[in-house]
Amino acid sequence: MNKQESPLLFLIVGRNEPLYSSEFISNQKPTSDSITRQHYFVMHSALDLVDKFAFTYPQMYLKTVDKVNHQMVSVFLTASHVKFMVLHSGKGDDVLKQFFMEVYELYVKLSMNPFYQFDTHITSKDFDDRVRVLGMRYLL
Amino acid sequence: MSKSSITASGHTLWSKMPKANTELFALTYGSLITELLKDYDNDIEEINNQLERIGHSIGIRCIDELLAKSEVNGIDIGPCSNLENTAEVVAKIGFRCFLGMTCDVANVTEKSFSLFLYENPLSIFVELPETTNGDDDDRHQSFNSDGKENSGGGPDWSKLKYSNVYCGVIRGALEQINMKVECDFVRDVLRGHDVNEIKVELKEIMSDGAGQDYHEE
Repeated sequence: MNKQESPLLFLIVGRNEPLYSSEFISNQKPTSDSITRQHYFVMHSALDLVDKFAFTYPQMYLKTVDKVNHQMVSVFLTASHVKFMVLHSGKGDDVLKQFFMEVYELYVKLSMNPFYQFDTHITSKDFDDRVRVLGMRYLL
Repeated sequence: MSKSSITASGHTLWSKMPKANTELFALTYGSLITELLKDYDNDIEEINNQLERIGHSIGIRCIDELLAKSEVNGIDIGPCSNLENTAEVVAKIGFRCFLGMTCDVANVTEKSFSLFLYENPLSIFVELPETTNGDDDDRHQSFNSDGKENSGGGPDWSKLKYSNVYCGVIRGALEQINMKVECDFVRDVLRGHDVNEIKVELKEIMSDGAGQDYHEE
């Protein structure tokens, strides 16, 4: 059983709760590799580690903060402590960094919208579409 | 004034004006809108009216600045002979020199014209939120006699005229030169159309001079 094709989960987490989530599944047939509750649990438990690295690591991109079985959690922390987290299995650091930088640009543009309040759910369809395009490009 | 000289004057005046940062301008206007939303409790109609009133105050001052600046820079705008001429001056000189915007005149009739605005600096970061109806919750909708409101839901964002301040500016400016107009935002990029269109209707040309009290016996 080749467990290479694991699904990718991308979360944007604010101060208290997730603000946005999207899943990227590489193979078209939905097999047992769908996003399960366990994936969310792994992400949640990684939050503590993010806080641990937040004040010691000087860069915004925190690389991989946690490893569970074959899955890794990589995190990008913005200046306002909004966390972009990706659950993946073995993607390269550079690829992830580029993905995070582009999502960060989209996020900044979104936050300039006067109708978007900081730390609220991201409901913009435009943002969602663009993040999916980026995900397809970089993560699959 | 010929069309090409109007356009050239617009460009000249734009180069002479002091500039401000576009992002600062857009974000300041955005926060004005959110403050209005808080103050008027998301009453979209009232906010549109307020924006128009704010624009009116700006417009009555803009016209003087425009005419003064063009005098100083040796550009002779001269009295406009017909409505089309006025429209051209508003579009090519007015919008150009204050905002750097390219603006086109269309649909000129005897009593109205349309202005097409292509890039709007006020709304560069803006995306209107989705209008929620409140239908997906329990069916305990209040029965409003006013058919316009969403029963029990949020405000109808598609009714918000985000750049309504422009309408007020045009109305205010033309009022100072004795033209009474009504302006309305017909099409808006934020609501999904392809261009911004402002329709300006001439109501009357007011007679010059001070009021009744000052007429000599």
